[in-house]
Parts: sequence; C-alpha cells; structure tokens
Amino acid sequence: MDTPLAVEAVGLERTYASGHATVAALAGVTLGIRRGEFVAVMGPSGSGKSTLLNVVAGLERPTGGMVRVDGEDLARLDEEALARHRSKRVGMVFQAFNLLPRFRVVDNVALPLAFSGVPSAERTRRARAMLDRLGMSSRADHRSNELSGGELQRAAIARALIGEPAILLADEPTGNLDSANGAALIALFEELHAQGQTVLLVTHDAQIAAHAERTIRMRDGRVVDE
Amino acid sequence: MSLGNYGRARLRSGLTTAGVAIGTALVVLLIALATGAEDNVRRSIFSIGDLRLVTVQPFQPGANGLSAVPRTITDDTVARLKGVAHVDGVYRQFDAPLGMVVEGGDDATIRPQGIEPGAPVDRGDLLAGRHLEAGDRAVAVIPGNIARLVAPDAGAAIGRTVTMRIGGAVKLGTTRIGGSGTPRDYAVKIVGVFDEQASQTSFRIPLDDALLAGAENRGLTPDAIRVTTGYSGLAVEADDSTNVADIVKAVQELGFSSFSLKQVVEQIDQGFGVFKGILAGIGGVALLVAAIGIANTMIMSVLERTREIGIMKAVGASPRDIRALFIAEAAYVGVFGGILGLALGLAGGQIIDRIIRELNPRTSPAAIFVVGPDLALGALALALGVALVAGFLPARRAMRMSALSALRYE
Repeated sequence: MDTPLAVEAVGLERTYASGHATVAALAGVTLGIRRGEFVAVMGPSGSGKSTLLNVVAGLERPTGGMVRVDGEDLARLDEEALARHRSKRVGMVFQAFNLLPRFRVVDNVALPLAFSGVPSAERTRRARAMLDRLGMSSRADHRSNELSGGELQRAAIARALIGEPAILLADEPTGNLDSANGAALIALFEELHAQGQTVLLVTHDAQIAAHAERTIRMRDGRVVDE
Repeated sequence: MSLGNYGRARLRSGLTTAGVAIGTALVVLLIALATGAEDNVRRSIFSIGDLRLVTVQPFQPGANGLSAVPRTITDDTVARLKGVAHVDGVYRQFDAPLGMVVEGGDDATIRPQGIEPGAPVDRGDLLAGRHLEAGDRAVAVIPGNIARLVAPDAGAAIGRTVTMRIGGAVKLGTTRIGGSGTPRDYAVKIVGVFDEQASQTSFRIPLDDALLAGAENRGLTPDAIRVTTGYSGLAVEADDSTNVADIVKAVQELGFSSFSLKQVVEQIDQGFGVFKGILAGIGGVALLVAAIGIANTMIMSVLERTREIGIMKAVGASPRDIRALFIAEAAYVGVFGGILGLALGLAGGQIIDRIIRELNPRTSPAAIFVVGPDLALGALALALGVALVAGFLPARRAMRMSALSALRYE
C-alpha cells in the first residue's frame, strides 16, 4: 500500500537519566497502526504505554529508533514543527481532561485552531459544529468548570478532533469517570472509529481494551503481545 | 487571551500598571520642567540678538575681564576677516569717550558708538526716522528715552539738532566722575530714534565722526587712532549660523578674542542636555522599580499558569506562541501604564503650574512645563520598552517550559 501507516515505530527507545542510572521507558518498540484502526495499548503502570503515546503525540522526543506519524518522521521536526504536529496531525485526550477552567467550552474546543492561524470567527464556528456533532452544543457557552466529568471529557474529545487529526490519542480517558460515563465515552470512541477515525487508546482496563479492534500489550518498555 | 488574563488578575495587573504610570509620569514631569526652563532661556537669548553674529574683541583669545591682554584691531584685520569663508560682512565699530547731552534742563550720559551703515546693531528697531546711511556726517540715531527729553515724542525728535558733549566729567547714576580728556561739543542732527529696550545710552553715530571725536579728545589724528588704538570691535556676520564656529576659529587664529551668541546657545544646550539627562535618570530609577514590578508580576503569572501553558503546548502552541502571549501581557502593562503616566504627567504639570502661579502671580514664563510631541511619544515608547525588557525573561521561561512537566504541575 502506498498510503503511509498512521503510526509506524521501529526500535523506538526513550530513556531517562535517573541519578547515575538510566531508566528505559521504551526499550525498542516496533509497531504499526493502520489508518482507520482502533488500537488499545495495555500494560501495568511503568510499562511505557503512556510514554509511547506521548512520543506519538510529540510531547516527548524519542532517544533512539524511528517513529513516523502519518508519514512524518518526528525526529526530524524542530520545536516549532513539533508544535504544528500537535495542533494538526494528532489530537490528544488526557485522563485529567486538561481544559482551561476560566474559558468557555467553545473557546477551549477552538484553542488548537488559534495556534494554526485560523481566524477567530472561523474558529468559533468550527468549534460549535464539533460540539454539535458530539451532542454538546447546549454546553458550548458554559465555563468548563461548570461541567460534569463526562461532559468535560466530551469537550476534550471535541478539542482533540477540531484540527481533523490523522490520529486520535487518548491516555486513560475513562480514568476519572464513573462507569456509566466511562461506558458512554467508549461508545463515543467506537462511533468515531466507525466514522473512519484512527484511534490509539492507552488503558490498563481490559474491559475497555476489549472494545478496540486490536490490543497491544506492553511490559518493561517492550511490546510483549499483539 | 493575554488580555483575558490581564483582566483576571485585575488588582495585580492594576498595581503593576500603576508602577509604570508613576515612573512614566515622573520622567515626563522632570523632562518637561527642564524643557520649559530651556525654552525660557533660549527665548530670552534669541530676543537679544542674531545667532549669525560673531563679535571680535580687541583682546587676545582666551582673555576675560581679569586677564585681558589688549590687541589692536586695524583695517588690516578687517581685510583679513573679509577673506574668510562664509563671512557675509564685517562692520567696524569705534566707541568715542563717554559724553553728556543737556536738553530742557535734564542731562543724560551717552555712549557715542561709531558704526558703519548697515551694522547689525543698527537694524530694525526704529521708533521713528531712519538708520545710518553711507555718507552721513554729524547725525545720530538715538534711544527713545533721550528723544523724549528733546521732543514730546520720538517722531517729533526727528530733524532736531542736539549737542553732544564728548569727554570730561559724566554722571554715572547719581555720582559724577572725571571722564577722559577735555570736553568738546559736537552738534548732531537726529535722523532716527530706536527703541530704548536695546540701550538707553547708546548714540549711533557715523564711524568717522566717532574716530574724529576720539582723536580730538586725545590730541591725535583719526588715522593715528586707526593704527595705534585700533577699533573697539568688529561685528562679523556669517552667511549662516551653522558656520559661526568656523568663523570663531578664524578669528582666534588671527589672535583675537571673540564672542558669539551661537556659542553661548550651544553651551546652554550642552548644559541643559546634562540637566535633562540627570532628571531623566531620576525618573528612570522610578521606571526601573516599575520594571522589577512587571518582572515579578509576570514570573508569578507564569508560575500560576504553568498548567495552562502545558495545555496550550499540548494542543499545539509553539514556543513562539507562548512567548508572544506573555510578551503581549507585558506590552499591555507598558502601553496602559505609559498612556496613564503621560496623562498623569500632563495633568500634574498643569496643577503644579497653577499652584506656582497662585503662590507667585508675577511668574513670568509662558509655560513652566513643556511637553512636546517627541517627549510624549518618547515617554510612551520608554514605558513600552521597559515593559518589554522586563517581560522578556519571564516570557522566555514560559516558552522553555516542557509541555509534559507543565501538565503534571499542580
């Protein structure tokens, strides 16, 4: 196939200096994620699954190996280009939601567009459309600190999708939600996947991972089972 | 977005802005005060005379009243000066000995000044009649106060003849002093009356008349006076005031002391430059304190918003975006503070001006504080510049923050 993989990693390494010793969070990860796939990464804490997600998101730089996202070799991007990668190529959903509390929901959703030079009116229009698509339009003008956990995470997903990313990344997105809201959120991921969205989700919960098409298991910085 | 934050930490931003405003106001007030003083001094100098003029004095260069070494100004000196570049005209002057006029029961001491037609001293200040002309003999252009001794008003004095008694005793104030030589009377016809603001004692008479009176007073011939005593001074006129320095140099190279208003003005300018610098420095200290305030506020703001910076970076803000955000915040403080400070400085100047006039109604200068457009714009630019410099380090700190550790910051 000519079209590049959504994510392609070969011998990917990420080590941290810890005193005199070095700790390898990623010790040679090789994997591929096709476009349109819904993949879950599972593993105990410290297995390197979050580091993998952060590297793909462009929040951390690998110390060895190669990683391509949507065909782009991340090691070759400088800080400015990496910022554009974060705003356009990937969309990130965090366990802690990470919305700006003093902003309205619609402004939170529109935020990534502000950094890719979209005019203000257009940003708001697109943010409202995205909130509408996720069934959140009634909450658009509320401040984010007035929302429930489930609503916050929906808003965060809207923000992650606003730049029409090649891949949606989620790090324990249900970690701060009760089971009903968690289930609704996973349903949303499945729905987005059904619409063709590539999803890479990190979790330690096997029930959630079960909703993915494919599960990658990690331990001690390596992929142990696909 | 940064404006949003400016609004959020309203009290803190307000206090920081007030610091900048006070610093700016102080700079504006102090420089306006110095500018006002300079304007007043300059205005009074310009009213004295022409900046194109260089006066040659019959002393050696560097001489002052205490150590004057005489040097004779002769026609040879005049010829040499006429050959100097940028010299438009050289006018000789010979002061005859002091004298008296007695008219209508009153007497007045006079200084007979022998000048050439068109001399800078005899220009554009007439109340009546005319200036000296070529070929004039036994005429005088006299000050208005003496004209009113002779006739009811300046116009009526024209055409009258008065007697100048040159030499001998004269009255200085209320005392009489011996004067020089034997007094001798000269009848002169009044052809012009000038405004006595220039001088209340000077009689402008033809150069040859003055030389003759000076010679007769000492029992010499006018030609001998020209060679041995020499002229009292020369008025050298430059084609432009910017060339005055060259002419001053030429005069000194000929071995004569010189005086020019232009040089006085330059010295005053220099003096005021230093004065303004010191005052601006004092104001600058206030702005420096304000700058430290801005830096402190912004470091707090960066710390407080660490998570926010992390979120922005995570969703695609580049280091430059983050820096721009905080620089913009500093710029708001600078612009608001600068405008407020300028307004404060202008208002403060008006109030102080009014108070001074209230306390001393005879205060003469038109304006004590002068704020020109360059000072106003300069103050705004200074406030903005100070804010940007103060904001730079905190902004860089925010820019360099790692997105991941910022997201984990509690």
